[in-house]
Amino acid sequence: MELKYVQTTCPYCGTGCSLNLVVKDGKVVGTAPYQRSPVNEGKLCPKGTYAHEFINREDRLKVPLIKKDGKFVESTWEEANALIVEKFKGYKPDECAVLSSARTSNEDNYALMKFARGALKTRHIDHCARLCHASTVAGLAAAFGSGAMTNSIGDIAESKCVFIIGSNTFEQHPLIGRRVMQAKRAGAKLIYADPRYTCTAKQADLYLQFRSGSDVAILNCLMGEIIRNGWEDKEWVENRAKGYDDLKEMVTKDDYLPENVEKISGIPAAQLKQAAEWIGTAESSALLYSMGITQHTCGIDNVKSTANIQMLTGNIGRRGGGVNALRGQNNVQGACDMGALPVVFTAYQKVTDEAAYKKFDDAWGFPDGICEGKNGYEVTVMMDVLTDNPGELKAMYIMGENPFLSDPDIHHVEHAFENLEFVVVQDIFLTETAEHADVVLPATCYAERTGTQTSTERRVQMWRTAQAPPGEAKLDWKIIADIGAAMGYPEQFAWETSEDVFNEMRALTPSYAGMTYERLNKPEALHWPCPTEDHPGTPILHIGKCSHPDGMGVMHAIEWKPPAEVPDAEYPFILTTGRCIWHWHTGSMTRRSDTLAKEVPTGWIEINTEDAKELGIADKEMIKAITRRGEVEVGAKVTDDIMKGVMFMPFHFAECAANFLTNNALDPIAKIPEYKACAVKVEKITEA
Amino acid sequence: MSAKGDMVYAWAADDAIHQKGECGGAVTALLTYALENGVVDGVLTVKKGYDIYDATPVFITDPAELAQTAGSLHCGTVLLPKIIKKYLDNARNMKIAVTVKGCDAKAMYELAKREQINLDNVIMIGLNCGGSVSPVVARNMIQDKFETDPDVVIKEEIDKGQFIIETAEGHKGISIDDLEEEGYGRRSNCQRCKTKIPRQADLACGNWGVIGEKAGKATFVEVCSEKGADLLDAAVKAGALVTEAPIPKGIEIRGKVENAMFKLADKYRAKQFGELGEGKDRLKFIMDETSRCIKCYQCIENCPICYCVECSTKKAHLVTPGQVPPPFMFHLIRYSHISDSCVNCGQCEELCAMDIPNALFMHSIQTEMQEMFGFEPGVNMDLPVLALVEEQTERKRLSDTGDDQIYNIFAKDKK
Repeated sequence: MELKYVQTTCPYCGTGCSLNLVVKDGKVVGTAPYQRSPVNEGKLCPKGTYAHEFINREDRLKVPLIKKDGKFVESTWEEANALIVEKFKGYKPDECAVLSSARTSNEDNYALMKFARGALKTRHIDHCARLCHASTVAGLAAAFGSGAMTNSIGDIAESKCVFIIGSNTFEQHPLIGRRVMQAKRAGAKLIYADPRYTCTAKQADLYLQFRSGSDVAILNCLMGEIIRNGWEDKEWVENRAKGYDDLKEMVTKDDYLPENVEKISGIPAAQLKQAAEWIGTAESSALLYSMGITQHTCGIDNVKSTANIQMLTGNIGRRGGGVNALRGQNNVQGACDMGALPVVFTAYQKVTDEAAYKKFDDAWGFPDGICEGKNGYEVTVMMDVLTDNPGELKAMYIMGENPFLSDPDIHHVEHAFENLEFVVVQDIFLTETAEHADVVLPATCYAERTGTQTSTERRVQMWRTAQAPPGEAKLDWKIIADIGAAMGYPEQFAWETSEDVFNEMRALTPSYAGMTYERLNKPEALHWPCPTEDHPGTPILHIGKCSHPDGMGVMHAIEWKPPAEVPDAEYPFILTTGRCIWHWHTGSMTRRSDTLAKEVPTGWIEINTEDAKELGIADKEMIKAITRRGEVEVGAKVTDDIMKGVMFMPFHFAECAANFLTNNALDPIAKIPEYKACAVKVEKITEA
Repeated sequence: MSAKGDMVYAWAADDAIHQKGECGGAVTALLTYALENGVVDGVLTVKKGYDIYDATPVFITDPAELAQTAGSLHCGTVLLPKIIKKYLDNARNMKIAVTVKGCDAKAMYELAKREQINLDNVIMIGLNCGGSVSPVVARNMIQDKFETDPDVVIKEEIDKGQFIIETAEGHKGISIDDLEEEGYGRRSNCQRCKTKIPRQADLACGNWGVIGEKAGKATFVEVCSEKGADLLDAAVKAGALVTEAPIPKGIEIRGKVENAMFKLADKYRAKQFGELGEGKDRLKFIMDETSRCIKCYQCIENCPICYCVECSTKKAHLVTPGQVPPPFMFHLIRYSHISDSCVNCGQCEELCAMDIPNALFMHSIQTEMQEMFGFEPGVNMDLPVLALVEEQTERKRLSDTGDDQIYNIFAKDKK
């Protein structure tokens, strides 16, 4: 009898906790703490504790499936690959689109990116970062020259003032929530801004309840207060920032006085002033944000505003400060770093930059070249193109993504998919999206692969193989490589191990160039950038200077704009969406984990007690939630913990999918949807 | 022929084990002998993982692999017995040797009396333990207080009240008291622990009391059971282990060290329990601290007293599911089901995602219950105050004795 512990990292959120998988006679049977990890010190959230429960479920995909006469028929790799190759060869490059996966490894993402650009030669590759932190990548790149979380998780605990806006940290990044509480126990002030009085809110010293979509107004107001009181870091502003004068003019306008922002946001003026004082006078102040900031039509503006206030107060490039964009998925940071985006290769080297283009073209050596050196479509744009210009995009290759539950306006997604001729989905379970595929390919889950993933603090950590995959499931990069080779490019897809893929990638990726599996095989691993093999990695960015060529931080003067769709007579409430601690996104893994599914078996809509009374709706009553996009039957959760006039639904549950209701309105540059604000009405269900 | 209570200095006959082992490698020699000769089918112990701060549980069936488990790891905060319950079929079908600190030994008995481990199939090699340090805390401590890069430390040691590190440059020690005053040092449950020499194991091994020319080269072994005596004798007879009588002064010193540690533990108990306040104040403090809970279940999954397949905290009528923080009832269930038997192993606190001082709360209740009912957990197979019994056995006892109490909670003369 063989029992062993395999140390690996969690497949759920971007915190990047380590844990041990307990393997008995070759099968994962449980998890055990890994106390040595500097990130989580052996501690886990409930998803991590039960991260083994879905792994060996009967309904894991085990063999390739091909849809024949509307039904899936079990097939072989040979037959499936032959069909895929034949089909894709029949399409022009830009008729194809690829969705990569923020849940698979860096190696998998790099392989798919190379496949998309080199084998299919399409410009259209994207992944779900589009739906969550696309505004961060663009916004922080504009502000600092680098679009990632500036500090490390550990140094949040050293902050003297933690300002959380748009992140329910206890539920979405629990072990980062721990650092916030450590800071608080050491005397830090905790300011928490959210329309919902969440479990994180309950720990705050100052809770700011506000209407979804008023973030720029709030941040401008805080900055105005800071400047009026002389609390800004004058040295930082003078020596390290550009654009201060324009920013100052903007934020000191009457529009952004506390009394006026109170009207926009709902936060009392006195609270705004208090927050500004604490942030402005703290020895160090860390700003944490997540979807509440990014998922808006003004997502980039929101992000830039967070960068503004941290620059204004000199909280960039030092411990306990920073703009801490909390990336959601376990490897969304990595997927972005690997260039699974329509505008960049790895390490954000632009597709339109001639030197970068040539570097990749030459290194890869595809005999017939690669995609055009032009930007491609984002996933949200792909959906629009499919409905608005049918015939332009014909085929899609999807790895580890479930747009049928995670994209906004699901009816729009359904319509979009009707106009696709050929869809391949590579996943571990038959998801809602996989049901719509023509070919389904069985892939390995995190416990069955060796590879790397990059957490929100830019720490690149290892996954280690704990057991063999079920049936004929293969490593994601291997599936892609086999198809790439079959398409006529065996030399370009000749990798034998994950390490081969990693080494090829890092030779082209300055921020990862100094990393090797050997160097990563230690508990501390490495934070990028790590440009050389003797570089210790970079836990904190922008120390001394920012990442723009001239080293300056860029402040942007931004006007507040309301969301694309605001409440009106017909749809009088704001609908905001989000997650809960028990489930991960579209639930393909957590809803198949008994312990987690039992805690929360289905969805709900949160309605403020007063609103519910006026509407005549009782707690747990099944009601209809309706927006201009669609309607959903869902159970009501009547509570004081949500702001009057605002309603909330988690998006995990297919049977009451919040995204039938959400608005496909996009940030014009980041193309991220406004999941956090649209207009909704609710109706009682009357018997027919 | 050894007997319970005998004490010897022991060391490995094999040179390699002698070198690699801590103080002469006696424990490794005993384990190797037991595994090689089929006394046990497997050894559950701890090995060094990535570095000296990383203690990994390991289940070994090939004796050749035992060498990697030799040595001591003061950052080994893992608890082994629950692994037997969860993953080794409760030791029903195989014989296992386990190295046990005091908390491991106590946990073993509590699991055994709940029929979760078959102790007949387990040999416990006890290890003296003055307390362990959580790995990341140790590294931070070495960086901040010793002003040394933790990666260059070759060996760490806790000796004579000091935490000592050895680097290429030499040794450096700082008083544990001073370190713990600043929040570093041993886990707080270790600070309160009074099971430094685990005599409820079959053999109790350590380096306290080894003086004279054998200092640092032999292990002090106290025989604590017939099973332990048999193993010791067999290993000696087979030439795997060499023993000699201990120097009497050494025995005295060992006793003094143990007593000194008990006094220290009493001091920490008074201080830590004292800080909890009393009555409503204590309740308020507990409710405040537990309000951070995110229901990660690590306390329950790792607690050696928790073994129920259908945990009461997962019953919807007791604890409304899906709530963060969970209702206070979640914690009340833990206190009411566990506190009489808490062995202060500290897992619930070290692994709590939100740093709630769970072990402090539980242990504080346990010590008071021990005073009230006289039950001490983890020392033998006596059933606890709160125990599951077989209905037929109970009915028979009732009819035989006319007494409806398994545990006489009203007996005033119980100590």
